[in-house]
Amino acid sequence: MTTFIIRRLLLVPVLLFGVTVVIFGMMMLLSPTERSALYIRDFPKNEAALPGIIKQYGLDDPFYLQYWHWMVGRADPVSGERKGGILFGDFGFSRTASEPVVTLIKDRFPNTLDLTIWAVAPVILVGIWLGVQAAVHHNGIIDQAARIFSIVGTSFPTFVFGLLMLMLFYATLHWFQPGRLSDVNLRIISQPGFNHYTSLITFDALLNGRFDIFLDAIRHMVLPILTLSYISWATFLRVTRSSMLETLRMEYVTTARAKGLKESDVIYKHAQPNAMIPVVTLAGFQVISLLGGVVITETVFNYPGIGSAAARAAVSLDVVAVLGFALFDGLILIVANLIVDILYAVVDPRVRLS
Amino acid sequence: MRKLFVVMSVLIVASMLLSACGAPATAAAPQTIIQTQVVVVTPTTAPAPAIASKDTTTLTYADSDVSIDTLDPALAYDTASGEIIQNVYDTLIFYDGSQAAKFVPLLADSWTISPDGKTYTFKLHPGVKFHNGDAMTASDVAYSFQRGLLQSGSASPQWLFAEPFFGVGNQDVAAVVSAKVSKAVDAQADTLVAAVDVTKFDAAAYTKLFTDFAAAYTKTAGYAVDAAKTLGTDPNKKAIDDLVKGLAAAKDEAAKKALIKTAITSMLGAADGGDPTALQDDRTTMPKVDPAILKDVADMVMKAIVADDAAGTVTMTLAQPWGPFLPSIAQTWGSVMDKKWVASNKGWDGSDATWQNFYGVVSADDPFSAIENGTGPFTLTSLKQQEQYTLDAFPGYFKGAPKLQHIIAKAVPEWGTRFAMMTAGDADVATVPAANRSQMDALVGEKCTYDTAAGAYKPCEVTDANKPLRVYLGQPPIAMDVINFNWKIASDPKSPNQYIGSGKLDGNGITPDFFADLNVRKAFAYCFDFDTLINDVYKGEAIQATGLPLPGMPGFFADTPHYSFDLAKCADAFKASTLMGADGKSLWDTGFRVQMLYNQGNQTAQTMAEILAGSLAKVNPKFKVEILGLPWASYLAAQRAHLIPIMRAGWQEDIHDPHNWYQPYTSSGGAYSGRAGLPKDLTAQFDAILSKGVTETDPAKRAVIYKDANQLYYDQAVGVPLVLPTSHGFRQRWVMGEVLNPLFPGFHYYEMYKQ
Repeated sequence: MTTFIIRRLLLVPVLLFGVTVVIFGMMMLLSPTERSALYIRDFPKNEAALPGIIKQYGLDDPFYLQYWHWMVGRADPVSGERKGGILFGDFGFSRTASEPVVTLIKDRFPNTLDLTIWAVAPVILVGIWLGVQAAVHHNGIIDQAARIFSIVGTSFPTFVFGLLMLMLFYATLHWFQPGRLSDVNLRIISQPGFNHYTSLITFDALLNGRFDIFLDAIRHMVLPILTLSYISWATFLRVTRSSMLETLRMEYVTTARAKGLKESDVIYKHAQPNAMIPVVTLAGFQVISLLGGVVITETVFNYPGIGSAAARAAVSLDVVAVLGFALFDGLILIVANLIVDILYAVVDPRVRLS
Repeated sequence: MRKLFVVMSVLIVASMLLSACGAPATAAAPQTIIQTQVVVVTPTTAPAPAIASKDTTTLTYADSDVSIDTLDPALAYDTASGEIIQNVYDTLIFYDGSQAAKFVPLLADSWTISPDGKTYTFKLHPGVKFHNGDAMTASDVAYSFQRGLLQSGSASPQWLFAEPFFGVGNQDVAAVVSAKVSKAVDAQADTLVAAVDVTKFDAAAYTKLFTDFAAAYTKTAGYAVDAAKTLGTDPNKKAIDDLVKGLAAAKDEAAKKALIKTAITSMLGAADGGDPTALQDDRTTMPKVDPAILKDVADMVMKAIVADDAAGTVTMTLAQPWGPFLPSIAQTWGSVMDKKWVASNKGWDGSDATWQNFYGVVSADDPFSAIENGTGPFTLTSLKQQEQYTLDAFPGYFKGAPKLQHIIAKAVPEWGTRFAMMTAGDADVATVPAANRSQMDALVGEKCTYDTAAGAYKPCEVTDANKPLRVYLGQPPIAMDVINFNWKIASDPKSPNQYIGSGKLDGNGITPDFFADLNVRKAFAYCFDFDTLINDVYKGEAIQATGLPLPGMPGFFADTPHYSFDLAKCADAFKASTLMGADGKSLWDTGFRVQMLYNQGNQTAQTMAEILAGSLAKVNPKFKVEILGLPWASYLAAQRAHLIPIMRAGWQEDIHDPHNWYQPYTSSGGAYSGRAGLPKDLTAQFDAILSKGVTETDPAKRAVIYKDANQLYYDQAVGVPLVLPTSHGFRQRWVMGEVLNPLFPGFHYYEMYKQ
């Protein structure tokens, strides 16, 4: 397994190079004017600045030169200092966010990671549990209810369901606010006395001994998690259910029952582990999807995650930010796929990573 | 199990019902930022008891976005940046309440204007402190204006100062530097040519002369001209041969030298890098310009703006009298910065030898884009782009601490979420898309209506004591859309312009000079149905514009000649056109096809195009206007390439003055007039009127001058000013004390409080 992991890690830079060349190439299909359009905040008042911008950032240089500058940066015409260069950890400056892309990712990704960590259990485990229950009670009331539940969940647009939750639990009942944290606590965590050990608010709150802030952060995540869960449960339920049904029909399950094992042992010890292979794949994609940001959920609940920032950059043709997010997402995708591959081996001993 | 099934079924049905009731608007709805709708507010009623403010010390503003470009007052030109700057920095003078063109002292206690209208002396208020505790001095004030002028750059609003200080038409310090470079280069040419022995002048002598000249130019202008490469081109080789042969025909030595000078200057001007006027926004070259010229320009600026710290005064001397000078310095770009603080944060140190290193800076490279140190009533305590920013009251504010302790502006892109925040009482104000106003109208319990004649809002009227919102209605805006024609549409036979069909007047296209025809422009103007636009897009909350000047400024006359919707006159104008089709038939008989473009997502622009297209088709089915939406970046690129035949040209005024409206649309250096390809003789006529108008300081005399501009604009049907949409803004009723001025870039929080 170690060889497998090392080999996969060695492939990471090659894959990232491929990703960057493809995305950079696509961006280069836009003209220099189109790629610098974002510098015009107040058309037509400062539109005359475009030629200067194009010259300053070399937007009409040949493709390979621009790619090279993106990789290693370029000297500022006045100060001579290096500006940009992803190899130096400088992803450039996002015009939509008016701040460096790295700062934007550093600001947003911890929020997304925080949400993902707390959402994984309800999204995946509950979904799996529901699927198992539906399979076990095949054609029973629970199965029928779960199937209706899953159809509604699949067909409910996230946008509508999210707004519904918001109007009910926030505007009407005043239980759960949108955003990341209440204003009072946002102020507290920005004070020097609050240490940011992990940049994940829930964990930092606990490490700082501020249980009230922890609870506040969780409260703000309830509606996004509920929305994500409901939309995702349907998928998990259906995949788990069909996989479980197939497994429960296997001969070794009949054998286990014939041996007089308890039904719970048959289901949870013998059948469920083998039914989990397609679910692990699905869970891997789900986690990757959560880590890449969930645009609609973030937007509806005003949750400052990475998805909404990336979507906004893409819609606005913020070339620098799009490239930065693509690189970052590519990295997440590669690492998460690696983890999923390793999990296969753990879940199913028949899979050998060689 | 049965119980679970029943519970779930009920939940699902309830969800469906709620979903049907609460259908949200799509995110693509046009956004109207309500805080720009302006009033002097004197609400006296208590808020409805059903909802009370949860925190009277904090005002929360749910905006669709809170991203800003920069906090540098000299560079910021967008409304979002201006909103923060206006609350954290101060200017010498400020708007008198809701008046757009009347001013009261702020950092300056008083000011005097010399009889010739060129010199302004400001007496500063003593004891003013910056947020970091530094005392504000006259030097800080002078430095701030000098810094702005020298920093310049097209991305900044400094053109509003460049013209008064450098002269009409000079919109950037680069123009001044370029003029001096050109003069110096001309003198160098004279010196070099004077030393030439015309009796032995041949190609080799020319080569040496031009090489020396190019070297001198490179040293002076900062641009590197490759003399060998320039001389080596075939056309230039031929030009040198022609010159040498032509010299024999010249009558005397002076004539010969004149020919030689013309030859080297022309060749330099055509060479790569041989144009010193390209300095605008060129941050690479500006620092390489001859240091003596750079110092000369800086000294000129410093002599024009002089501080007297002992007397506490700042004197500004303009290049000519400037009617709208006070309006210009009242805006955020007239904010005062702390010289010591700027220098210590890698900004300009105030020296005449270093300013060029800061010229044309863009926000990404500006150290003052994310930090502030003003004298204003609030300090910026946190700024998270795209998320939120927080302003806290500055207890040391020289006019007394503000009533509100905290301002929180949150980016809430989704309207449904903002609506929920307003409903829950967590937001005090919110940005409301025009399409969603009816949702908010249902919650209105207090109505404030603008009295156009009085120029102020009438006392607010309580319509339902139990409803939580207040609405402001009816105030004219400071922004307007104009339909602009492209008189000289770009079209290259090698890459035909796709927006003008066949490129010929054959019923399937238009010629590139189609809109150069006065009758065509008039016909389009008569064919625009203003009432439909007002009713369909603005729900009746708009009035037709009669010209470029807005109500309340010199040059605005209610009876200004203007075009009104009249299909018969539209048809007559088309019939009067002398344009002929390719087969010799008239325009009326031939017809045309043209594309009208708009930027995708701008539903107002799309509807405007549809209205015009509909009217033209009614007049003559052969008149076909196709409507095409482009992404913003592509739309901008098409505009820059002069490809768009007819376009919506919007403008939001910087100052409430007719110059700010005529300059972009009609002058030789205007953003839109250039795009419209207005002929030089027409822009020259406007330039003459505008120069006269802007240098006149008497408002009554200015009004008469701009009347001429109005007439010329109408006679030539330069464009079609559309409508003035009036205000329709919402607040929670507990928000009090607000001063609403159309020129504020957002809220001015100092006067506001919560009940």
